[in-house]
Amino acid sequence: MFRSGRAYIVWMKFRRNRVSIIGAFIVISVILMALLAPLLSPYSPAQEGWIDPPRKFLPPSNKHLLGTDHLGRDVLSYIIWGSRPSILAAVGVVAIETAIALVIGSIAGYYGGIIDNVLMRFTDLILTIPNLILLIVAVSMFKVRSMVTIVIVMGFLWWPWMTRVIRSQFLSLRESMYVEAAKSMGASDLHIILHHIIPNCISPIIVTATIDIAAAILSLTTLSFLGLGDPRMINWGTLINDGRRYLRSAWWITTFPGIAIFITTLGFNLLGDGLRDAFDIKIRG
Amino acid sequence: MALWDYTVRRTIILIPMFFLSTVVIFSLIHLAPGDPIEIMFTETGHPPPREVIDQVRKSLGLDRPIYVQYLIWIKKLLRGDFGFSYGGPFIGQSVLDLIRSRFWYTIMLMFTAQVLALVIAITLGVIAAVKQYSIFDNVCSITALFGYSMPNFWFALILMLVFGLKLGVFPICGASTAGADFTGFAALSDLLRHLFLPVLSVTVGYTAWLFRLVRSTMLDVLSQDYITTARAKGVRERVVVYKHALRNALLPVVTVVGMRLGFILSGAVVSEVIFAWPGMGRLAVTFALNRDYTGLMGLSVIIVLMVYIANLVTDIAYALIDPRIKY
Repeated sequence: MFRSGRAYIVWMKFRRNRVSIIGAFIVISVILMALLAPLLSPYSPAQEGWIDPPRKFLPPSNKHLLGTDHLGRDVLSYIIWGSRPSILAAVGVVAIETAIALVIGSIAGYYGGIIDNVLMRFTDLILTIPNLILLIVAVSMFKVRSMVTIVIVMGFLWWPWMTRVIRSQFLSLRESMYVEAAKSMGASDLHIILHHIIPNCISPIIVTATIDIAAAILSLTTLSFLGLGDPRMINWGTLINDGRRYLRSAWWITTFPGIAIFITTLGFNLLGDGLRDAFDIKIRG
Repeated sequence: MALWDYTVRRTIILIPMFFLSTVVIFSLIHLAPGDPIEIMFTETGHPPPREVIDQVRKSLGLDRPIYVQYLIWIKKLLRGDFGFSYGGPFIGQSVLDLIRSRFWYTIMLMFTAQVLALVIAITLGVIAAVKQYSIFDNVCSITALFGYSMPNFWFALILMLVFGLKLGVFPICGASTAGADFTGFAALSDLLRHLFLPVLSVTVGYTAWLFRLVRSTMLDVLSQDYITTARAKGVRERVVVYKHALRNALLPVVTVVGMRLGFILSGAVVSEVIFAWPGMGRLAVTFALNRDYTGLMGLSVIIVLMVYIANLVTDIAYALIDPRIKY
C-alpha cells in the first residue's frame, strides 16, 4: 500500500467510517453474487427445471429458501440471476451519462461565456422535465424494448446532473496556477482539459457515479415494474410486478426481490456517502 | 411594485423554456425508430394492407416533414386542441378531457405529500442538525438512508399488504368506496381514507431525501461566522436556530424543492398505478403501454406546464425569503 500521498489519506479516512465500510461490503457482495451466479444459485434459467408449474406458489422452505413464484421459479435463484442485468444496466447508464457529461461539462466549464450559457440553459431545461415521465415517453415508442435501448435512452436523459457537477469543477480548476502554467507553455486546450483538469475532477465524478448507480437501479426496476422494461429480461422489478397479483396469498414473491433492490441501492448510497466524506468534497450541482 | 415586475419577468422567461421543452418531448417521440402508426397496427396482430396504413398516416399528418408536424401540433395545442387518444382503452376520447378528469387527483396527492414532507423533514432535519451525532440524529439519519434507498413501488406494495390486506384498516383501491353514495363530511372522510396509503407511499422516500438535505444545509449554516457572532452577542439559542440559521438554510432547500418536483411526481406515478388512484400518472402508464402518442404528448405538455408553474412559485417564494434577491 502507499504510505503517503492522497490515495492513502483517502483510504485512512474511508476506513475509519464504519458506515462506508458496510456500504463497500454490500457492493462487493452484490457484485460477487452477480459474478458467481452459476455457482451460488440452486437453479439456473438455462436449465430444464427453471419454469416448473407444478412447483408454483411454494412458501419459503428448506428446499426453496425464499419460496417459488407463479411459474414455479425459485425466487432465490431469480434474485441471484437478476442481479446481473440490474448491475450491468445501471453501470451502462452511468457510463453513457458520464461520457456525455464529460464532453458537455468540460466545454461549458472551460470556455465559459456564451457557450456555457447556452449549454447550461439546455441542461437545466432537461433537468426540469420530470425524469420518469421523460423516460416513459421515450421508452414507450420503441418497437422492441430491449435492455440495450432502455440503457441508451436512460443514459441520454440522465447526463444533466453529472454535467453540472463536472462544469462546477472546471469553473474553479481553470483558474488554478497549474492551468495558467500549462497555458503559458503553449499547451493546447485539449491537452489542458485532458491532462490537467479532468484528472483533478475524478473524485466528484466517482462519488456522483456511485450514487447514480443506486438511482439507476431504482429507475430501471421501476420501469420494469410498470411493465415498460425489457420483457425478456430477468429483472427484480418484473418479478415484483408479477407477484403483485398474488400479494395476498404469496407475499414472498414481491417481498424478497424488493429487499434485494433495497439492499443493493443502500449499499451504493452508503458507499457514495462514504467516498464523499473520504475525498472531502462538496458536490455542487 | 417590484415583486410584481419580478414575477412578470420570470413568467416571460418561462415562455421560450416551455416551447423548447415541447420541442424536446416532440423529438423524443419522433426520433425513436419505428413509426407510431405501424407499431399501433402491428400491436393488434393483424396488420392491415399497406394502403390503409398510408391513409391513416396521411390523415394524421405523419407523412409530412417533422418540423411541419411539430408546427401543426403546437398550433393546435395553443388553441386547446390536444387531439384524440388513438390506442388502448380510451381510443377516440379527447385527450384534454381525459387529463382534465384526472388532474386534480394527482395535484391532491402531490400537494398533500409535498406539505407533509416539508413539515416533517424541516422539523426533524433542524433538530438532528442542532443535536448532531445525538441518538436522535443517528436514528433519523439511518431511517432516512433506508427510506431513500427503498424502491417506492415495493414500499407501496408492503403498505398495501400490511394495512390493506392483513389489517384491513385502509382501502387499497381507487379514490372512493364503490357504490357508496356519500355526501358532505362522509364523502370527504371517505376520500381522505382512500388518500392515506397513496400519500404515505409517496411521502416516505421524498421526506427521507428532503431530511438529508435540510440536515446538511443546516449543519453548514450553523458553522458560519455569523452564527458564532449571534451566539457571542448573547442571542438566545432558540432565536439563533430558528431566526438566524433556519432562514438561511431554507434557501437551498426551496431551490431544490422547486427543481426536483419530478421526484414526487415519479412517486405519484407508481403509487397511482398500485392503488388505482385515478390520476395522471396512471394515465401516463396506460398511454405508454398502448403507445398512444397523442395522449403521451398532451400529458407531457400539461406536466411540463405544471413544473414551470411550480418553479415560478418557487422563484417568488425565494425572493420573499431572501431579501438579498434583486427583483
